[in-house]
Amino acid sequence: MRFEILLTALLFFGGTCLTGYAVRRLLKLKKEGIVCSIVVGALCWWALMELILVPMTMKLASFSSFVVVYSAVVALFTLAGLFCWQDILDDLKTFAENWKQYLTLGHLAALLLIVFELWFLHHHMYLEWDETGTPLEFDKRYVLSLWPIYYAWLSKLTGVAATVMAHTIMPWLMIPLAYMVYILIGKRLYEDDVQLKGMFLALAVLVHLYMSGEHTTGLSFLTITPWVGKGILAAIILPALFYWLLRAMRDGGARNWIMLGVTGLGGCLTSSMGIMLTPLFVGIAVFLLTLQKRQLRYLAYGILSCLPCILLGLYYIRLTH
Amino acid sequence: MQEFLEIAKTDFLATFEGAWMLPLLLLSCALILWKEPDRTRKVLLGALPLAAMIVYWFPPTGMLLMKLLGENVYWRVLWLILIAVTVPYALCLLLRKCSGLRRQAAFLACLALIVLCGTPLLASEEFLDSANEYKIPQYVIDVCELLPENIHAMVSNRLMPYIRQYDTSITLEFARNDYRYLNPGEADDEVGQMYLEAQKSEIDLSVLAPTAKAEGCTFLVFSSTRTYIGEWEDYGYEKYASTEDFDIFVDMDYEEGQDTRKWED
Repeated sequence: MRFEILLTALLFFGGTCLTGYAVRRLLKLKKEGIVCSIVVGALCWWALMELILVPMTMKLASFSSFVVVYSAVVALFTLAGLFCWQDILDDLKTFAENWKQYLTLGHLAALLLIVFELWFLHHHMYLEWDETGTPLEFDKRYVLSLWPIYYAWLSKLTGVAATVMAHTIMPWLMIPLAYMVYILIGKRLYEDDVQLKGMFLALAVLVHLYMSGEHTTGLSFLTITPWVGKGILAAIILPALFYWLLRAMRDGGARNWIMLGVTGLGGCLTSSMGIMLTPLFVGIAVFLLTLQKRQLRYLAYGILSCLPCILLGLYYIRLTH
Repeated sequence: MQEFLEIAKTDFLATFEGAWMLPLLLLSCALILWKEPDRTRKVLLGALPLAAMIVYWFPPTGMLLMKLLGENVYWRVLWLILIAVTVPYALCLLLRKCSGLRRQAAFLACLALIVLCGTPLLASEEFLDSANEYKIPQYVIDVCELLPENIHAMVSNRLMPYIRQYDTSITLEFARNDYRYLNPGEADDEVGQMYLEAQKSEIDLSVLAPTAKAEGCTFLVFSSTRTYIGEWEDYGYEKYASTEDFDIFVDMDYEEGQDTRKWED
């Protein structure tokens, strides 16, 4: 199983990292580091999947044809990343020069907590909520958020059973990815204080592990069912939206609003709840920021970046009411 | 309105009860609003969680969201509060004021504070030692390895959630938490009666087996603790195999390799 985990991790983190470099080049997101590339790449993969999967599902296309189309698109983006080798080398060089500064108590504590969490989950199973059996009446709204197809795709590429992919391999992908978002947030909040970056991360990881409301808190979903889209929404998408908002407020460039839109679209894939919660989160945030800044453009940018979610949301309402 | 408030209260308590995370969150918001010098951060880290809470509790917005999302999952609106960003940021506001060893000690105290205020998720009794790479109970694997592919089966409640996670070529007569189980009063048809009979410790085969055969249940899997009124052979079934926990019965008309699935994937 170690080989399968390594193979999938290599495919996922390698592919998203290269895709991230390609997208960063397009959006002129320079000198952001490898972690940023992985997060940007993963968000783009999910947004692309939503764009491809929804129409294909509507047209009743087969899963195998989706695998071919989506793999081809992902491969194109990944290959494009190879052309950004200069950016990759720069980031690697910067990391090689600065890695020692990350040897802080906070970073060490965060690393220990994350490794312990992964070790624990690898050796345990969470037995609840699995639902399979007879076919139920298919709720049409699920057409818009087919997250399980994502790990079905990974399982098709690696030849691992989908259940094994979900229960055993996905934690090794989603938990590090979730904490990478917190690394980015910490990096943005404490640009000049490396110690606090580590401490912020360690505290964030610990809140995930000690949050109350095991069955209702989004944060706990990341640990108990890291393969479920709802957990990805709560633990990766919403914090990522926060990250892009934080950036948009600081440097104002269109690229941050674009990534906000990409993240929102990725959120629509993870859960039908994402279609509603993503624009709601961005909406509340830009409303408050508009009041604070007294500039309507933030509201306009926010609405524009959520446009795909809003359109899907209207369709969702039409399907469900 | 009353119903909305009831649901909102129940969901809110389910999220925060049994721990001190809510006071910690509110204190964190207050600290950020009070001490954070950057106004944008004040809004995003201090005011945004409070605004999300207002949206959750304010009846007009709450009732609208409840209608859109569904009242069973209204609690997910609370996910808009990024506790894992707000609480660490507030604690780091305090840590920022310290330096050197004092900061390291304060950091350890902050870790301890979160541990004291929260509940240890990994100590949940739902976590069990992993028995296999599928991360489903081993007794399921034991049964699945004996069952052939492409068959239709009625299985014990204990197996229902997992069989198709191991082998999707097996179709099941009943899903987990079947409505007949949840609402026994509605089980007035023959299939419903069969389901209810299968739940008994002593199963009357004259009630269960004819319907199972009529419904195309080629394989029947029951706990090995069950006893039966009647002989399986009299109803066209025979014992197929056994595991430590379950007995498997097969329709005597079944031929090896036969596809008896009730539907196709």
